[in-house]
Amino acid sequence: MSWSRAEVLALATKAARGAGAPPAQAAHFGRAAAIHLGQGRDAAALGQALDALPAGAIMRMPLQLQELLLAAHGTVQHRLEIPTGGQPSLLRSYLETLPHATEVVAAHGDSLDVTVDTTTSAPSLRLGRVEGCAALLAQMTVLAARTFVPDSETSRRAGAGAGTSDND
Amino acid sequence: MKDFIAPPQAPLRPPDTVMRLSRMGSMFPTRLSFLRTLMRFLAAENARITRRSWQMCAEGYGHAVYCVDLGGYTYSLVAVSTKLDPAARTDRVIASAWDTAYVLYDGVPDADEVARICATAPKQEAARFTERDLVLSRANKSVRLFAHVVDRLRAGRQPDAAMIRDIGYLMRTTAVYGNGKFGIADRACIDTRPGFSGPFMAEMLTVWLIRHFTHDLVEHVGQGRLDRNLKRHLGIGNSTGLGMAPFLVTHPVLLNNWMLARETALARVRAVAHLNEEMQARLRQLMKRADRHLAEWQVPDLAHQRRIDCLCTDWAAFSAKVVPDGFAPENAIEALIDRALSESEDLQELLVALVIELFPDLVDGLADCMADPCGPVPEPIADTGGLRDVLERSFGWALALDYDATDQCRQFWYVSEAKQEPRLGDRFAEEGAALESPLDVARRMKALHDDLPQTSTALTVFLKEHPEHLMAVERAALAARYPYAEIRDNLIGQQCLPIDMLRCKLSFFGASKFDPKSDRWTRITLCQGAPLADELASRSDDWWLPVFEG
Repeated sequence: MSWSRAEVLALATKAARGAGAPPAQAAHFGRAAAIHLGQGRDAAALGQALDALPAGAIMRMPLQLQELLLAAHGTVQHRLEIPTGGQPSLLRSYLETLPHATEVVAAHGDSLDVTVDTTTSAPSLRLGRVEGCAALLAQMTVLAARTFVPDSETSRRAGAGAGTSDND
Repeated sequence: MKDFIAPPQAPLRPPDTVMRLSRMGSMFPTRLSFLRTLMRFLAAENARITRRSWQMCAEGYGHAVYCVDLGGYTYSLVAVSTKLDPAARTDRVIASAWDTAYVLYDGVPDADEVARICATAPKQEAARFTERDLVLSRANKSVRLFAHVVDRLRAGRQPDAAMIRDIGYLMRTTAVYGNGKFGIADRACIDTRPGFSGPFMAEMLTVWLIRHFTHDLVEHVGQGRLDRNLKRHLGIGNSTGLGMAPFLVTHPVLLNNWMLARETALARVRAVAHLNEEMQARLRQLMKRADRHLAEWQVPDLAHQRRIDCLCTDWAAFSAKVVPDGFAPENAIEALIDRALSESEDLQELLVALVIELFPDLVDGLADCMADPCGPVPEPIADTGGLRDVLERSFGWALALDYDATDQCRQFWYVSEAKQEPRLGDRFAEEGAALESPLDVARRMKALHDDLPQTSTALTVFLKEHPEHLMAVERAALAARYPYAEIRDNLIGQQCLPIDMLRCKLSFFGASKFDPKSDRWTRITLCQGAPLADELASRSDDWWLPVFEG
């Protein structure tokens, strides 16, 4: 079975929220996860990031992107060394969510040497369908379910603002 | 290469005026609505619909396949009709069976693919789909009208015109899923194809083809042909609930682009200096059409019917004031818009949609600006001092409220574990607020503002201490570039009516005849008055606010 990237994005976002990430960090993770798996990168990195909440990459990497964008603002091309926190492939996926063209120029130990060109839009990525990461998707499905409110009669009757029969 | 010279335009209406829920809940479809854009594209492509397969029993159960060639690609609608126990007929997401199910397929499906879709489409969310499946949908019959039309056709007669006028569709879609849901193709797979770069174009094509199928199905079961005018008035219904509302919050750039296109259209037509005789005649014609449309817009909900009746009365009075003397040839549109400023928001927004309708040359190109191909490009904010400035300049509407007051935080948005149906709860009467969905943008903006230090600090330092504010910070960073990105109201307040968000979004789809069933659920009609498949060349673009021609 294969998954669309939109499904992965939505599921990973909910999973991160279910695991305790605030909404924006969860949304960043969702976008990065869809690219990460669409690029065929290591699924385990995503599972580790979820396990590390409420700390770790999911909390750190959105701020690293903020720092990068801020440093690059007003320049044509900016170069910055960014610590990976032991997750270089996941950092690459986060970088690929940016609207600007970015390039990993080199890897130095536990950091990536990155350039960002604020005058050029990020190229369209040729991403594949997501397959073969059943364990991660199962983990994310369990975490995502933590964001759902248990059903109740009141909720069912009034929550959607509609009745349950439409024979008209 | 020719330089593009933008037409003159009046100032845009400010977001503080436009982005209020009550005004968004007064919107009407315009010629920028997605169905209108699609119809123009289909006409330009000289699109022809072919019915490739029709395997349907006498009672109308089976499947059909329709094909259409667009921009070098072939798309097929596979329609599956099944017998439904009336007890199971609900338009809610929690339904598990429907009268009909559909897939818009990329290419022409072979027998194996048709068999796969016939097996999976009726299961909807419970099944898995493939990258060849572009859109997944389902629809339930308006049992009363479908049965009536069948009976009349079988008797060799046409259906009752008043029923066609008042109900307006044979079936209602209850979901139209695109962009990767349940395994179907990601939007990125098709968004560079001709005709599909605009928002929801594949979904709109599906809806239009479903309407075509419903006409064929009722004629098949009724063993007769519907009168063309009656058929054209039969659009496709839709039932829509809360699932549509969060989209506007979670896609701020798209919301901005839709509203900005519409506001730019208005600003351009307001700047039209001279209205010739022909245009004045057209304006009078559209005002009369609006009058008839309002008179034909009848709904069961008494409160909403009163609102329609008020608009009907106000519109007649407004028209009576502005039409008899003729329109001043100079700055006529601007004068009309100014005269409406003392009228209701319903009337103002109807007038906005009407004047936009008059000027295809000024307006239609803006449809190309309504997608979001690049994603958000924020304007970075360096420190908390700069952030404070942005918040006080662009989010004053959010900072003024007290979110501890019960009326300002009574509602909470959530996703139920029951088929993940989006719902709205009362924070003080129901469980589940701890799992609230983050649609409380206004409250978050205020909380961020309250936590800003007196002395300006680097924003990244602040966010390390307050990671919970990242969402608010990122939305603030969009404000400069995307002025219409935020709904400028408190979405968790007691006064928030989600139906306003639904109407805004649905008007962009091209919906008419809003028929609210509550403050969070509505039925609508799509494609009413739209060209039939064999009319694309002759009447593709003059069906704003449809009126009955039976």
